[in-house]
Amino acid sequence: MTRNAVQRLFEWKVRGIRWIEIIGVLLVAVMILSVYVAKAAAARESATINQLERQIAETRQRVRLLRAEAARLEQPARLEVLSRGAGLAPVEMDQQADGVALSTLRPAPEPVLAPVEVAPVVVETPADAAPVGEGLR
Amino acid sequence: MSVQDHRAFRPAPGARPVSSAVSPWLRWLSEAVWFVEHAFERARADAKPEEDTRVRIVVIQAVFIGIFVLLAAGATRAALLGPGGGIGSATVAGALQRADLTDRNGALLATNIVHYGLYIDPTEVWDREAAFTQIRRALPQVSSTRLRRVLDGERRLIVQPGLTPAERQAVHALALGGLSFEPEDRRVYPLGTSAAHLLGTADTGGQGVSGVELAFNDAIRAAGAQGQDFALSLDLRIQGVLENELAAAADEAGAKGAVGVVADATTGEILGMASWPTYDPNDRGSAPEGAALNRVTSAHYEMGSVFKTFTVAAALDTGRADLDTMIDASEAYYIGNRRISDFHATNKILSLEDVFIHSSNIGTSRLAVEMGADTMRDYFQRLGLLDAAPIELKESARPRRPRQWDDSTRASLSFGYGIMITPLQMTAATVALVNGGVYRPLTLRRGGTAAEGRRIVTAETSAAIRQLMRANVVRGSGRSANAEGLRVGGKTGSANKLVDGRYDARHGVGSFASVFPADGPDDARRYVVFVLVDEPSQGSRLGGTVAAPVVGRVIDRIAGFLGVQRRIDPPAPPEPAA
Repeated sequence: MTRNAVQRLFEWKVRGIRWIEIIGVLLVAVMILSVYVAKAAAARESATINQLERQIAETRQRVRLLRAEAARLEQPARLEVLSRGAGLAPVEMDQQADGVALSTLRPAPEPVLAPVEVAPVVVETPADAAPVGEGLR
Repeated sequence: MSVQDHRAFRPAPGARPVSSAVSPWLRWLSEAVWFVEHAFERARADAKPEEDTRVRIVVIQAVFIGIFVLLAAGATRAALLGPGGGIGSATVAGALQRADLTDRNGALLATNIVHYGLYIDPTEVWDREAAFTQIRRALPQVSSTRLRRVLDGERRLIVQPGLTPAERQAVHALALGGLSFEPEDRRVYPLGTSAAHLLGTADTGGQGVSGVELAFNDAIRAAGAQGQDFALSLDLRIQGVLENELAAAADEAGAKGAVGVVADATTGEILGMASWPTYDPNDRGSAPEGAALNRVTSAHYEMGSVFKTFTVAAALDTGRADLDTMIDASEAYYIGNRRISDFHATNKILSLEDVFIHSSNIGTSRLAVEMGADTMRDYFQRLGLLDAAPIELKESARPRRPRQWDDSTRASLSFGYGIMITPLQMTAATVALVNGGVYRPLTLRRGGTAAEGRRIVTAETSAAIRQLMRANVVRGSGRSANAEGLRVGGKTGSANKLVDGRYDARHGVGSFASVFPADGPDDARRYVVFVLVDEPSQGSRLGGTVAAPVVGRVIDRIAGFLGVQRRIDPPAPPEPAA
């Protein structure tokens, strides 16, 4: 029976051509086409990948260059000369405090008397100036 | 159709001599081909034609199936395992010949930058005269004779190697024919003179030649292949402060040379190492004479009184003395005919602490003579004063050791004469004396070597030495090293150099070996700073004047980077620790 079925399949023809062969040829054609499409897509992808990799390499090279340039500009000797030239100097001990000491430091600026001194002047000035002003008027 | 019996086939008589004449192998081959070719006829003659056809079909099918299976397997293998096919490529992205060197915080110290070699093919140059002038204008450093020779030649030749990308762009913009560029990897030290001696150099082949580049050559190359940085123990901020202060001091003192080292006393890590004068490793050819020498590792000095720390430590550790032991320094001390006197003569009986603070030669000489040759040599050996300082750098030089250890020599050794050591040895010994008494090799690896270290003095001796050093800064010769609130301790050293067989006071070496903070428990984090000024020509030549202030300023500026908290010093000298 099976043998007959197979035989029938092979004898199933159209215009003297076996269907099985036509189907086979079509399948092969589809396969070739799909392989071609897949290959073309892969080639496109790999070209993109190559381009990206080239870009990455170039960018990496640029990063290295910039990093080296930044390091060159941050040479300690150069920075020292620049900061001395700008009138900067290491912070003195009495100019330093940590967060904990801040509350204890607050009274210290008071002897400077900046706000205290200004206040009486402001208060006194109108008192002294008022008669002068009146006199002028 | 032939009815001839092919089993009795014989090739034509004419063909036979050819094959047999050529080779028996060829004859065998032709017979085999004929055998296969006539198999069909043979089978039919044997009256089994169907069988024969089927055999042929099966054989051909088998051959084709075999070929296609092989092809399929090959294609699968190429698709899945071939180079560049998979996602994980064999080479690491960003792999380098040599890794970038960084400091402990990742600041760049050395890197590889692609440079370009300029090549000219004269046959493609249209106007050689114009090309000559334009290239000269774009690249003034190009040798004109070289350029002329290449332009007038006939072959493509290199004109100038090592063009920076900017220079390449400048030449490229000339749009001249016949010019081409070949990339070449170059080691670049963007910090210029900073840490130049320490980093050393690497050759164009990517092999380390000196300094760190040589010492860690394999590790740097391995890290480079992984695309990683190679971190050193150095802290660029500290290095910068040390270099700047050292250069300023050396300049001011008109010195011949100067060295400075900052080390972590707990781990033995080098945080800063400066040698002055310095040079630009990117242009090593133009380095002045002697500038390329790393004086920290390779220069020997008789260091003078800084050695008193070692003598006193040995006396304390052996139990021959304690801080209150009284030593007679009221008059000069004679060994045979040799008279030993004090520079800062006190002419009285001193306690051990006063011997240290007043830097009494008489006092330490007495200690050295009393302790005997074996003890003293043993302690010098333990402190690493008789061998090259252990560190990765290949430049670490061996000391000039005394040949004998008689009384007079020991007296000299006790105050730092008669032995020449490198600043690195001095640093390593000071580190061991102040960290609780454990000698560890110094290292340039970030995180230290994790070496166990060996105990050289007791923790009590170490504490006593720290106390003495602190007292010396509070009220001794090291006052100018005091950085407010940082509890600096140290010992000054001043020595004359041997010139034409005589110790000449005009050629001196001033040094200061210090520790901060000097207080706290044995395992507290502390740092050793050593500064030496070689042959100061202006002003005082004493260590307390030329070297101690440098140490004070350096410590003042680096304490913040190291996280050392300032505490206001008690006005009175600290209580004895022991």
